[in-house]
Amino acid sequence: MMRAYFICWLVSCSLALSAQGVDEDLLRMKKRLDSVVYFQANLQLETDISFVHMPVKRAIMKFEKGKPVQFSSSDFVLLPKRGLDFSLRSLFEYPVVTLVRNSSLKNGYTIKELNVIPSDKRADFTIATLWLNTSLRRVESAEISTSKDGTYVLQMHYLQAQDIFPDRVEVNFEIERIRIPLNFMGKGTQIDKEKLKAEGSKTGKIFMMLSNYQIRYTGR
Amino acid sequence: MKRLIYAEIFKLAKQSKTYYALASILIIEVIILLSAYFEGTNIINLLLENLRKSFYFQGSLLNGNLLQYLVLNTLWFHLPLIIMIVVSGTLTTEYKDKTVQAVMLQPVKKWQWILSKYIVAILFTLLVVVALYATSYWLCKGLFGEGDLVVYLDGLNFFPAKEAAYRIRWAFIAGSLSMLFFAVSSLTLAVWLKDVTKTWIVCSLFLIVCNLLLKIDLGSAWLNQYSFVKLNDTWQYFFQFTIPYRTILINWWILVGYIIFMAAAGIYVFHKRDIG
Repeated sequence: MMRAYFICWLVSCSLALSAQGVDEDLLRMKKRLDSVVYFQANLQLETDISFVHMPVKRAIMKFEKGKPVQFSSSDFVLLPKRGLDFSLRSLFEYPVVTLVRNSSLKNGYTIKELNVIPSDKRADFTIATLWLNTSLRRVESAEISTSKDGTYVLQMHYLQAQDIFPDRVEVNFEIERIRIPLNFMGKGTQIDKEKLKAEGSKTGKIFMMLSNYQIRYTGR
Repeated sequence: MKRLIYAEIFKLAKQSKTYYALASILIIEVIILLSAYFEGTNIINLLLENLRKSFYFQGSLLNGNLLQYLVLNTLWFHLPLIIMIVVSGTLTTEYKDKTVQAVMLQPVKKWQWILSKYIVAILFTLLVVVALYATSYWLCKGLFGEGDLVVYLDGLNFFPAKEAAYRIRWAFIAGSLSMLFFAVSSLTLAVWLKDVTKTWIVCSLFLIVCNLLLKIDLGSAWLNQYSFVKLNDTWQYFFQFTIPYRTILINWWILVGYIIFMAAAGIYVFHKRDIG
């Protein structure tokens, strides 16, 4: 009898999930992002990773719909694999379902917290949590879990209420401790094996400042 | 004194082993460049493997600055060894050919004669370091171009091209002091040992021991900071993310003290000893 109840519960849950579809606010935000066919911005990057010391770097970022984002710089620049996809293209590449988890008020705006779950195995993320500003139709923050690259947390800051893209993005990510072969070590470098073992994977931060946006929308 | 110095320069310029030494430095540079050309990308990929999981790289790190940094690493062993062989040879060959006795029959003061050898050893060492800097600069920048430098020293340090060039230049200047120490020490060892082969073996041993002790805790804070073996990596301080200028200056002064002490010891022993 218990088994029959459990099967019924499982079937009803899966039916509920399949019927969930995609959240309306998320679709509205996606439609707004999809209206951008081209943008260009100046990018300034600051890294905060304990074992990487890098000065502030500058680059030009270009996006054309249907093409990967391109960067150009006269310097050597480390660009985070996650966090530069402002169009959230990677989240919507394959079919997804969404689950609304919470709604709250922040600075007078409604912030909707929802989970995005891919329903196709080819998707490169396992689950994403988005905090949507439903009034301004944009993402405030996101937590994206991937099977290969760990979990990424994005915090987006916008200059003006009508801005579609952020002027400041903070990306938090997991990074494995560095393994340098001994022959690359400087002679004065001390190696604390116990400390290295204990450290395991680390977290890093990258701060991106974006300015001089040139945006072209569909039909303009 | 001037004439003695000119005579020593003349002798150094006339002996073939001086040119063998300079040629061997050039050969080492070419080998470094060739290995970087064929293997450089793989080495950098290995070095930055973990970062590659989280980042895309825009731009190339296999450039003239990285190559010049690799050439700079010859300051650990290859360059001081070559300098020690040539510099100690300037005295041991005079013992071997018995030209020391011939010179001492002339109205020449012993201390002035040996001092002129030390002065020429210093000039030769500086010339070799300048030659290494100049050739590595032209070869590395000419073949691999400009670019940011990545160095692993207490973490991965990235330096923009201009800053990297500044740090490399100063590292060569700091390195030249270490080379002077080894050059002067080798001449002092030559004063003591006189024999060509024995001097070369002891010079090599001295260099190896210095390199080994650099990594070993000497059991005392003072020794760990100020013994001469611990000062020979001062040039590498220029690749720490924040350059510790004060420590570098202190190390330089102490190293200059060691150089003067080693030269004074050699001059004293040579002056007191019978030529025979």
